Amino acid sequence: MQCKSCQTELPKKAKICPKCGAQVGKPAGNTKILAIIGMVIMLIGGLLPFVQSNEKLVDGVTPKAYAFGFMNISMPVMWYLFIALLVVGILLVVAKKEKFSIIASALSMVVLVVSMFVFQFTSVNGKTKTGALKYEYHNLSDLLSNGYKGNSYSIGCGLIVTAIGLIVAIVGVFWDVVALFKKDLGVDAKYLSNTLNANMWHQMFYFRGFYLMFLPVFVMVLLFFYWPMLGCRYAFTSYVLANPYYMGLFHFETMFRFDTFFWQAFRNTLILSITKLILNTGAAVIISLLLNEISNMLFKKTVQTIIYLPHFMSWVVVAAVFKMLMSVNSSGVINGILMNINLISEPIDFFGSSKYWTGTFFIMNIWKDTGWGTILFLATLSGISPDLYEAAQIDGANRFKRLIYITLPALANTIITVFILNLAKVMNLFESVFVTQSAGTYDVSQVLQTYVYNKTFNASFSDYGYTTAVGLFKSFVGMILVLGCNWMSKKVRGRGIV
Amino acid sequence: MSEEQLVYKKKKKKFKIFPIVNAIIFIIISLLILFPMWKVIVDSFDARSATSFRWWPKMFSLGGYNAILTRSSLYWPFVISVITTIAGTFFGLLLATLGGYVLIQWKMPGRNFFAYMLLFTMIFDGGMIPKYLVMQDLHLLDTLWAVILPMSINVYNLVLMRNFFEGIPESLFEAAEIDGCSPMGIFFRIVLPLSKAALASIGLMFAVTFWNDYTNFKIYIRKNNLYNFQIKLRNMVMDSNIPTDDTVDPNTIANAATIVAVLPFMIIYPFCQQYFVQGVNVGAVKE
Repeated sequence: MQCKSCQTELPKKAKICPKCGAQVGKPAGNTKILAIIGMVIMLIGGLLPFVQSNEKLVDGVTPKAYAFGFMNISMPVMWYLFIALLVVGILLVVAKKEKFSIIASALSMVVLVVSMFVFQFTSVNGKTKTGALKYEYHNLSDLLSNGYKGNSYSIGCGLIVTAIGLIVAIVGVFWDVVALFKKDLGVDAKYLSNTLNANMWHQMFYFRGFYLMFLPVFVMVLLFFYWPMLGCRYAFTSYVLANPYYMGLFHFETMFRFDTFFWQAFRNTLILSITKLILNTGAAVIISLLLNEISNMLFKKTVQTIIYLPHFMSWVVVAAVFKMLMSVNSSGVINGILMNINLISEPIDFFGSSKYWTGTFFIMNIWKDTGWGTILFLATLSGISPDLYEAAQIDGANRFKRLIYITLPALANTIITVFILNLAKVMNLFESVFVTQSAGTYDVSQVLQTYVYNKTFNASFSDYGYTTAVGLFKSFVGMILVLGCNWMSKKVRGRGIV
Repeated sequence: MSEEQLVYKKKKKKFKIFPIVNAIIFIIISLLILFPMWKVIVDSFDARSATSFRWWPKMFSLGGYNAILTRSSLYWPFVISVITTIAGTFFGLLLATLGGYVLIQWKMPGRNFFAYMLLFTMIFDGGMIPKYLVMQDLHLLDTLWAVILPMSINVYNLVLMRNFFEGIPESLFEAAEIDGCSPMGIFFRIVLPLSKAALASIGLMFAVTFWNDYTNFKIYIRKNNLYNFQIKLRNMVMDSNIPTDDTVDPNTIANAATIVAVLPFMIIYPFCQQYFVQGVNVGAVKE
């Protein structure tokens, strides 16, 4: 093959002419995001019930046949095959071989239909006399036409969602959505790396040492991040100590419709972490503005050393220090002072009553993290050119005006950055609350993460399936927040946070 | 006095007051931070601490510290804390440097795949219960591995390490390669010696998280003799679960335990402050 522009003989499979840098063949398009979204929808659809009983499952203790999906198929291999095919499809899209991803997604749909009608499904129906779960086996086509013990069954949402996902995935292969949002940068191909032409196997052999170096990281990430992600399937099962059995969307229905404690925890999470975020950022900005005005370097360094100090204490230590400070017995200083000036007649239990817990929590947060939060602001402030201040001073601007017109505009970007960075972590609020809360203050202190913990490990009856569902909801909201903040961050400062 | 002089005087007066007010504000802030700690220190040295507040120990005694040193229920958690901190920091630094170094090999096939694989873990997380079930499947529950391993793979610190490595000029790598240095050789002879500050900074971050770890112990560990000092402290202070003994006031022991829990970092902190601060700045400004 010859290069069109300079007529040199091209090496095999070359994408770029090595001599003149002209692009050979079609340029690689944008990643087909829509196809990936379609396959993710299919992946989610595989978790949802294919066939569902119209009778509601009320009794949580005696399981019944309620929903059927991949997880109670007699051949669990089919589920892994379904996932593997979709992952291959997504990887094909990422590798710009979109056309082949159609085959992968269509095959996964075939796997789904085959598993529905060819294999038998296991359902748990009551318990035997010894207390073990009683399993029964059904044919889905049978169930759909004849029902089971008087219950009628209908096609569940899983099949529909998967079908929609398949359509989106196939449409996405042909429709380049990214192009609508992206400007063509017009980078000449010759500025791209020439390694594009190199043989991939040679490259991989050259980098063999690095693959070995990455192996431990790879294994650890798979074990502790990706394996738990597969565990999200338990959100669709009932899992009491052992033997998870499939329940479809039962937990989500319970959670959203009936569980007031869940909503309380969700509300508390948002209130506590967003208020905390605003208070901490505000205090940090004010303190760094004041700190920036100190001209004595020794004094400034000392103050910095002191205000960074609480950050290195664990939440347990901070809680312990405040517990001793605000103790109800006679060694509590705060109560002592308040009683001495006759503001209160009885000592206040700052940690035990929900009336005071929120305030105590915020004070502890400010005490611990404000100082540390000033680091970024101080770095920005020290970057402002002193010439600006001098010029403003000559023009007659006083301290306040210099603050309004020079310092704050320079600081605005950092404030927004810090805000966005922390907004992405709003759902992760856990340890600070977990350490300080007690059963008496659950109404204001229970956040989603502590709700999951307490309901799993401290409750008399705990269903791993239900708490996984709550955790999945938390992760999902967290993901939306991270992606949203990433998008905002790209808009505001030109690069993402992840 | 002319008008000009008046203006001058006014300006000068303003200029004098603000720094003083500012300094007073910061003295108050510093005192607000130091005062709770001072109270804990005083109480930890006082044999009868639970009575009332005082600026100086009334009945000076080392009973609290003595109890921590001699009672196995108190010093064993401290040993556990030390073990997990050292092991965790070692594994954490190992994984962060290896991963960070691989991520700057821009020409390596699959480099982008690895990077996206790591980044996705920052976006979506499996959740507490699936992680617990994975630990159960791996038979790591009730072992110290359960608290060391999952925290030692920290994607944020890994990316931070990569940023530090990116700052090393490329020409150094090229020169070493021309001189016949293998990739491993470059890693050990050039990258690591040049990033001592980064190693110190990220190593300290790991050490702080492992020393302060409470959550993982609470979730994965059910055995009393494997609890670390933070768990012990929480039980002592918040649940008032202190082994009672006639000789020492339990409140004194709790205060002494709080001091012991912060002591290691309070000792090294003034010398390492720059490394801590450096980590924050690199993380946010240049990611």
